[in-house]
Amino acid sequence: MYSGYSRRMSTRHVLLGLLAAGPTHGYDLKQQHDARFPQARPLAYGQVYTTLQRLVRDGLAAVEGTDSDGGPERTLYRSTDEGSGELARWAEEITAPAPFVTNEIFAKVVVSILVAAAGTRTAPEGRKPDAAAHLRAQRAAHMERMRELTALKTAPGADLSTVLSADYALAHLDADVRWMTTTSARIDTLTAEVNAI
Amino acid sequence: MSTRDEQPLPGAGALISARGLRKSYGRTEALRGASLDLHEGEILAVTGASGSGKSTLLHCLSGIVRPDEGTVTYGGEELGGLPEGRLSELRRRDFGVVFQFGQLIPELTALDNVALPLLLAGTRRGEANERAGEWLERFGVRGQADLRPGGMSGGQSQRVALARALVTGPRAVFADEPTGALDTLAGEQVMTALVHTARESATAVLLITHDAQVAAYADREVGLRDGAVHSGSAQAAGQEAVRREG
Amino acid sequence: MKADIRIAWTLARGSERREWWRISLTLLGALLATGFALAAVTIAAVPGQVSIPYAHGLLDQPGQRAGVVLTLVLLLIPVLGFLGQCARIGAVHRHRRTAGMRLAGASPAQMRRIAAAESGFACLAGSTAGSAAFAVLLAVTGHAPRPVAWTGFAAVVVAVPLVAALVSVFALRHVVASPLDHVRTTGPDRGRRAVLGFMLAAALIATAGLLTLFPASLGFTPFALLVLGLVVFSGAGAIWTAGAFAAFVGRRLTLRAKSPAVLIAASRLAHDPWAAARTHAALLLVTVVGVGFVGVRGVLLETLSVGYRPVDLAFYTTGIDLAGSAVLVALAISLCGLAVGTAESLATRRRGLAAQAAAGVPHRVLAKAALLETALPLAPALLLAGTGGTVVYLVYATIAGTGAPLLPLLVPVAVYAACVLAAATSLPLLRRVAHPAELRFT
Repeated sequence: MYSGYSRRMSTRHVLLGLLAAGPTHGYDLKQQHDARFPQARPLAYGQVYTTLQRLVRDGLAAVEGTDSDGGPERTLYRSTDEGSGELARWAEEITAPAPFVTNEIFAKVVVSILVAAAGTRTAPEGRKPDAAAHLRAQRAAHMERMRELTALKTAPGADLSTVLSADYALAHLDADVRWMTTTSARIDTLTAEVNAI
Repeated sequence: MSTRDEQPLPGAGALISARGLRKSYGRTEALRGASLDLHEGEILAVTGASGSGKSTLLHCLSGIVRPDEGTVTYGGEELGGLPEGRLSELRRRDFGVVFQFGQLIPELTALDNVALPLLLAGTRRGEANERAGEWLERFGVRGQADLRPGGMSGGQSQRVALARALVTGPRAVFADEPTGALDTLAGEQVMTALVHTARESATAVLLITHDAQVAAYADREVGLRDGAVHSGSAQAAGQEAVRREG
Repeated sequence: MKADIRIAWTLARGSERREWWRISLTLLGALLATGFALAAVTIAAVPGQVSIPYAHGLLDQPGQRAGVVLTLVLLLIPVLGFLGQCARIGAVHRHRRTAGMRLAGASPAQMRRIAAAESGFACLAGSTAGSAAFAVLLAVTGHAPRPVAWTGFAAVVVAVPLVAALVSVFALRHVVASPLDHVRTTGPDRGRRAVLGFMLAAALIATAGLLTLFPASLGFTPFALLVLGLVVFSGAGAIWTAGAFAAFVGRRLTLRAKSPAVLIAASRLAHDPWAAARTHAALLLVTVVGVGFVGVRGVLLETLSVGYRPVDLAFYTTGIDLAGSAVLVALAISLCGLAVGTAESLATRRRGLAAQAAAGVPHRVLAKAALLETALPLAPALLLAGTGGTVVYLVYATIAGTGAPLLPLLVPVAVYAACVLAAATSLPLLRRVAHPAELRFT
């Protein structure tokens, strides 16, 4: 699953950033988050409250008070000076350019080749994993998702946040597709290499 | 998946139907039995590596080049059997063509370039200019109407080229790497303009590209390898894809 | 048709400078052609024995007037060559434009009409200007041509643009077929025209031979046919030699070249050997005629100097010198054609030249290569053309029973030097074209 930002992205810092605009309660923070990062995985309420409590524990945020607005009572949170400092430090920090990319597709291709080679030795009958066919099917799935994202961003009235986050996902999917195309073209060489080790 | 062996009959409901196309240039075989259906109002991407025969396929389908073997059927007519004059008329009235670059006439202003197909068809100058102006407006290049292609940016001239391809209200537009010479943002503007107009006017688009992000603008994709269709099927359920977008 | 003319006009208005060069030079060529043709018509329309106070009485007698008319008509040949050379200016660019128009849905017939309108109008302007200038000349000399001459004038003014339009349609015959930009400079040519020339020459010589078998018709005719046949034969031979030699030398030198300039020139020759032959065709014909003429002149003057009074001799020398100046004019026009051809070849290849300059090829090397490209294939062709002309005047000298003059042998050398000079006129253009900054614009 591709999202507007990676799973490792700090939810703490995003919430701190949203608090910078002024005291807010947890429900509003969740709503704002989902609106600002439309292509990201939506935040769970539970995650919002646990994160807020940890921020308060570390002194980066504080409880401003409560309001009820006629409904159930809700806690208002605000950012502290330390919180602003931490936020500034994080925002300036360069994001490490993905030192270790987990490439599940590559792992599946290599395993398919290994299993296929083992299969011809032991049991010639039965369904054999086909690395090339797997790549084709994976490419089709990628393209389908890319068409969805493109339709989303070209829909009349799409706002820039939607367009930009769709672009980010599209660029990453495109990188996968390119890699799959070049790998497909060299699958025989790869098979020989994998089986030689 | 593969349609290389079967030679299905011309697809029912297809706007343009190609069967078993073969074309050689000297000793190079560009097409080796390619079959493809372009449906009414669908946007179809043809992808493949360089030299897979994508452009030749487009040239055969649009009647620019006659295949050595095989048939291209459009509106009940076999393009291979038509005289050159009738093919020119088809290109002028029913088809529009956009290439990577360089299809605009350098001597003509943007406005004259767009008006050209209308003038060739005998439309009065005033009316042709008016309609050309509307199309420039639509693609956001009205301000460049009096510039010649040499004075425009790549993105602007591609949008003028699109306007020229669409000005006659064609039933099919053939686009060969229309964003190939553009940066991402300019390419996005060109593609969005093309896709929106095509959907509005139910114009079919055959889009040649090697770029997955460009192919993603299409309703479906057909992969070409060594001059034949190898993935995605010739006829495929293109119609649903059209309905999905409305 | 109206729409086509309008499109042609819109295209002309938006044309770049090079296109205007072509139109101006075409106009000049049309003007020259009109001038020669009108002069020929005027002289041809003069009836019987008259006294014309020009050229030592050369125009007084019908027989000599016929000779002058023939000379003027023959002068149209280099002019046509020049016009053909002009048509090549910007040819690659126009081919591309035509392909673009075809892509936009223009039919082959429409493209032919547009192209015909373009050159037709340029030549109409030229022929109108030519006839205006001629009218002024007539008024100054006070000669009033007969009514029949006026019909001839009108025919010339109409025929020049008409022929030009047809020629440009003929030149475009390959392009109108394909909307994709397939420009082939080589291909259909392959020296077929030289073979046609050989056949024509063989037919002429054979006719001359047959005529000598029938003594009744013996006289001037077989000799004239023989001379014409020899001229055509050596012209065609020289053109063929230029092409074949260019192909051969191109291949050999590409493998063995020690200097980069030779390598570049040789590969260009190997790539399109007939380009040189096409450019030099008119020039080679003029050389054959030139050598033959200078030789015949020498022999004739030697024969005449015995037993003629100086006044009578002046009549003959004036005639000969008039013919000589016609040859010189033809040579000048052909040299202009060569200069235009070289410049055009550079302008067409400006992208490649700019790329070479950008890759660090010194200007000196490019200039040397451009000159070698003209000089290499021209040397053997001129040698052959010179030999052909020499045979013509040697035959004449044998008949007249005099010694053969040596002066004509200098003619090919002089022509060769003039050719290299004409090619060198395009070097300033090379300096501008072969600039890495040109890559930005082409």
